[in-house]
Amino acid sequence: MSSETQAGLQGSAPAPQRLPLRARLKNIDVYSLWPVAVMIVIIVVTGARSPHYLTVFNFENILSQIAPLGIVTMGQAILLISAGLDLSVGYNIALSSIVTGLLLEHGQPLWLAIIAGVAASTAVGFGNGVLVAQNRAHPFIITLGMSIFLFGLDTQLTGGAPVNDMKGLYTAFGGNLPSGFPFFGLPSLTIPLVLVVVLAFAFLRWTPVGRRAYAIGGNEEAAYLSGIPVKRTKIYLYTLMGALVGLTGMCLAGEINEASFNLAQNFELESIACAVIGGTALFGGRGGALRSVQGVALWGIVQNAIVFAGLSSNYQQMALGAIIVVAVMVTRKQR
Amino acid sequence: MTDVRQLPTSSADEQVPLLAIEEVSKRFPGVQALDDVNLSIEAGEVHGLVGQNGAGKSTLVKCVSGVHPPDEGRIVFDGEVITTYMPKHAYELGIAVVHQRTQLLPWLSVAENVLLGQMPAMKGLLINRREANELTRDLLARFKLDIDPEMPVARLATPERQQVAIAKALFRRAKLLILDEPTAALDAERSERLFALVDGLTRDGVSVLYVSHHLEEVFRLADRVTVLRDGELVATRPARELSQDEVVTLMAGRRLAVAAESPRPAGNGKAAVIELQHLETGVLHDVDFTVHEGEVVGVTGVIGAGGHDIARVLFGLDRPAGGRVLLRGEPYEPRGPKQSIARGVFMVPEDPAREGLIPVLSLAGNVTLANLRAITSRGILSLRRERQIARHFVRDLSISAPSIDTPVRNLSGGNQQKVLLAKALTAEAAVLVLEEPTQGVDVHATAEIHRIVRGLAASGQAVMVISTDIRDLLEFVDRIVALRAGCVVADVTAYERSYAQILDVTVGAAGATAS
Repeated sequence: MSSETQAGLQGSAPAPQRLPLRARLKNIDVYSLWPVAVMIVIIVVTGARSPHYLTVFNFENILSQIAPLGIVTMGQAILLISAGLDLSVGYNIALSSIVTGLLLEHGQPLWLAIIAGVAASTAVGFGNGVLVAQNRAHPFIITLGMSIFLFGLDTQLTGGAPVNDMKGLYTAFGGNLPSGFPFFGLPSLTIPLVLVVVLAFAFLRWTPVGRRAYAIGGNEEAAYLSGIPVKRTKIYLYTLMGALVGLTGMCLAGEINEASFNLAQNFELESIACAVIGGTALFGGRGGALRSVQGVALWGIVQNAIVFAGLSSNYQQMALGAIIVVAVMVTRKQR
Repeated sequence: MTDVRQLPTSSADEQVPLLAIEEVSKRFPGVQALDDVNLSIEAGEVHGLVGQNGAGKSTLVKCVSGVHPPDEGRIVFDGEVITTYMPKHAYELGIAVVHQRTQLLPWLSVAENVLLGQMPAMKGLLINRREANELTRDLLARFKLDIDPEMPVARLATPERQQVAIAKALFRRAKLLILDEPTAALDAERSERLFALVDGLTRDGVSVLYVSHHLEEVFRLADRVTVLRDGELVATRPARELSQDEVVTLMAGRRLAVAAESPRPAGNGKAAVIELQHLETGVLHDVDFTVHEGEVVGVTGVIGAGGHDIARVLFGLDRPAGGRVLLRGEPYEPRGPKQSIARGVFMVPEDPAREGLIPVLSLAGNVTLANLRAITSRGILSLRRERQIARHFVRDLSISAPSIDTPVRNLSGGNQQKVLLAKALTAEAAVLVLEEPTQGVDVHATAEIHRIVRGLAASGQAVMVISTDIRDLLEFVDRIVALRAGCVVADVTAYERSYAQILDVTVGAAGATAS
């Protein structure tokens, strides 16, 4: 980067033109692709050792495992870019599933139950946004408080016992898509995952609100002095997170046919970890949807490979912990 | 270059000065901040230090207080040559600096701050709070300060904090107290109390180095006055042998020729764009002037004189307590930057890296940030349009950057300023308020910024440049409004007045002679 600075100090230069494709490819930060490299290594090594690893079934399995986490990670990445974060997602996912599950249990129609479940988590997101924006308080503590509150609410609503029949939701999300073109029998959750990733990418790149998120995360004071409605944007982003949480709640509850307070335990920290592993800055201003997807994919592939290696799940935790630390070290190298 | 070495040590009986600065020079990249400075301060003396911005006052203070080691020369304090240049070391020797923004620990009590690290303890273990409070109260009472020792510093007003900082220095048996613009935040009565405190200190044998833009204060307190200009010490003389007029002349150097080659019309015939009418805030008093279409108006004054406050009112960051602002004849009461920008008023803040730009965002992203609407159609950003705009300004303002995708933090200060100007232009501002646009920018970039601002005025924009650098303003503005203590003391066409005359009214030597 020092050469850039040098050039910047010199006198007037000709206006930079659009770079040719090859130069633009060169500009891509190789470091930011390290999760892909690690994934390839893991896939090759595990594939060589186990005949059952490189199968469609196994990768479908990975996909359905990471889909809910992937959806939340998109929301978390958007918040991290704006220098925010949401620690209440775990119990908020549970809340949306519980609201939906209880309504189904009482014989309400599926559409009503889904709308109510998503609305509940969106309202919680809106509440987080208002509290963070109005109090200029650190989102860590606000959303931690919200998380603890929701834990209480979730257990109160269910009496601690899970709702065991998600009815139509299970039919929708529990199985696989039709085989053959264009779905190839992929897990049903592939559709919401891909939709959310594409929308998050477009949101961050091509919408004014997405751009404002980068500006607020990069320098809140300067963003305010540029006429950006900082408070309103924050409320908007947390509300969006609430809606994604609702979608995650539906996916997760449908997939395993259960709604309970511990449906999505640790999702808050895992989603932050995935976003950061992918290269989204923990303190705002930098990152993106595709980068964060890399983090989610690595997360899923490592968990799966450790099962194939015949190691206990304790090793999963150790490996994931190590990856987070490596991610931070590599990200620091980038600039 | 007057009597530097033959200091009037009135009692010439080989009395050793408390502080001797001997042939000290200090260079920063591109600037000779101090050039062969010789200065001594006697025990119990109040020594006034004056000079324009950039004259080297703060560098000198930083050398003495151990922040910067001098490149050449040496500093002798209390008979000891300083070898370790560390603020902590200087403090232990007895050199204490009380800054404009005093450094206290806000959530500790007054007593804990004053006695920090030296709290009386019972059996060497537990802090004896009562004794600590007594000790502090006695210390404060010596200077007729009535502050509750148990009060957390965060709850004190600025003047009281300053007093606590002084009390803390005195508890450490400071022999030399450096007061840097101490009255900047004080009203007249509080200033008087500070002066009394300083008088009392010198009776106890403490020396004071008094750094101030306000010549009246310096003359009120100082035994001797030192004038710095462009890093050189131009004079040290007993205050009673100097007049304020002489000091201003010394600060300005030779009476500069008028900078503008050709007289520029002062907005005659053009429509008024911004009219400030009897504006009042905590700082400003009855501020009343007009900026016309196609006019560049410089607003100057020492730090705290009110230029920054005018900018804050115009950008909706502060609400005036009285008076009003008209924008093209209509009442203008913005409630924040968003509304200001919507009405066509844009402020380029003083510190581009901290307040103006998003450092990690690309050049193009920063340029369009204040007017995303210009590149949005049907809710979607047109990155293509954004690149066109950015490329246009890179060419027009000759911003030198590797690419428009480069994060702005990788650009030089001058180029960052230009990106800020490009952002203001993208916001389609009819009124531009620039704060210190050439501060920390090299000569080449300064000339470019002057050219850009003149170009804006030529295309009909109204520009207000708020700067403490009078010489810089004289090079490119049409009119200068000089402020002193929140009041307009001069509103003159730039070519009518020389640098020294404007400096004169802003530092308040001769009152409002120019008008």
